[in-house]
Amino acid sequence: MRTADTSQHYELDPEVFGLFLDPMRKYSCGIYESPSDTLAEAQVRKLHFVAGRLGLRGGERLLDIGCGWGSLPLFMAQEYKCEVTGLSPAGRQHAYIRGLAAERGLSSRVNIRSGYFETAEFGVERYDGITMLGSIVHMPDLAGVYSKARSLLRKGGMLYVSESCFRNAGMHARFDAEGGTRFVRESIYGSGEMRPLSDLVRAAEDAGLSVVAVDDLTDNYRRTIADWMTNAKARADELNAHQPGLAENMIRYFEICNAAWGYTTKHYALTCSRSR
Amino acid sequence: MTTLETLTEITAEAFGVPAAELSPDRDLRGIDGVDSVKVLRAIARIEQRYDVELEDSDVFAVKTLGDLVTLIEKAQ
Repeated sequence: MRTADTSQHYELDPEVFGLFLDPMRKYSCGIYESPSDTLAEAQVRKLHFVAGRLGLRGGERLLDIGCGWGSLPLFMAQEYKCEVTGLSPAGRQHAYIRGLAAERGLSSRVNIRSGYFETAEFGVERYDGITMLGSIVHMPDLAGVYSKARSLLRKGGMLYVSESCFRNAGMHARFDAEGGTRFVRESIYGSGEMRPLSDLVRAAEDAGLSVVAVDDLTDNYRRTIADWMTNAKARADELNAHQPGLAENMIRYFEICNAAWGYTTKHYALTCSRSR
Repeated sequence: MTTLETLTEITAEAFGVPAAELSPDRDLRGIDGVDSVKVLRAIARIEQRYDVELEDSDVFAVKTLGDLVTLIEKAQ
């Protein structure tokens, strides 16, 4: 299976992300319930939402593909007593997560692995749940990814994918090569293939998975990014101390994202099960 | 306030330029520092203000404030 290099952005010093993300450094959409909700509250609520979509009751075996700075593995290990493997190609994230797991006495339940999902090898024991929060956008071979995820799930196991999508196939065709999309792909991540939800659903169906739920989280992501932008503006000097121009680049990225929601892009959560 | 005045005010704020720089027939994307992202942001604010939803084909075809006035008046 083909892999894509995403290290350009995620290999930045973890401290950089501490400057604009919530305390868990969860670099994906939160869920807000009231106007007074903070970013930190929204991110905790989102992880409980993911747990709900996975049907967690406690003690499950989970795989988090593209685990970032470990917010999901650490949270599910702590709150739901899950045994979680986090996988990410960005090496700088691993020591950070292991340190936190050790501090919180979670080392026996949190296992962090380096590598790409497409080429990673797994043992025979299957998972109760697999999560991909904002990581499938970096994987070129959708069919291969879904098929491999299905093979790693036990019967009845759940797959949760949340991703930013083009609003429909027409927007994909029209805006994939436009300035805003190119800026995000080339200047921020180095790679990325945003698709319409229909592509994600089709690939899940083709892999033999059953679609259980689709949630529209677009408004929640708009607010999450607005909160990140507020933080990035307030800490611009510190961001630029890590890399000159970084604050402006990040703010430009956030502005593009938030201008596009609903017009050219959407953010969905897709939950599937390995079942007939 | 006329529709044009309201749209000019919202757009000037979204672009971060003085309202005086915006004439009804000026190509919005030709203004220094204005790109499709800023145009979209202005349109989003205008849709919100008037509680209307413009057609996609219209949203992406808007060139001038005059175009927007026509679309908003038609949509109301």
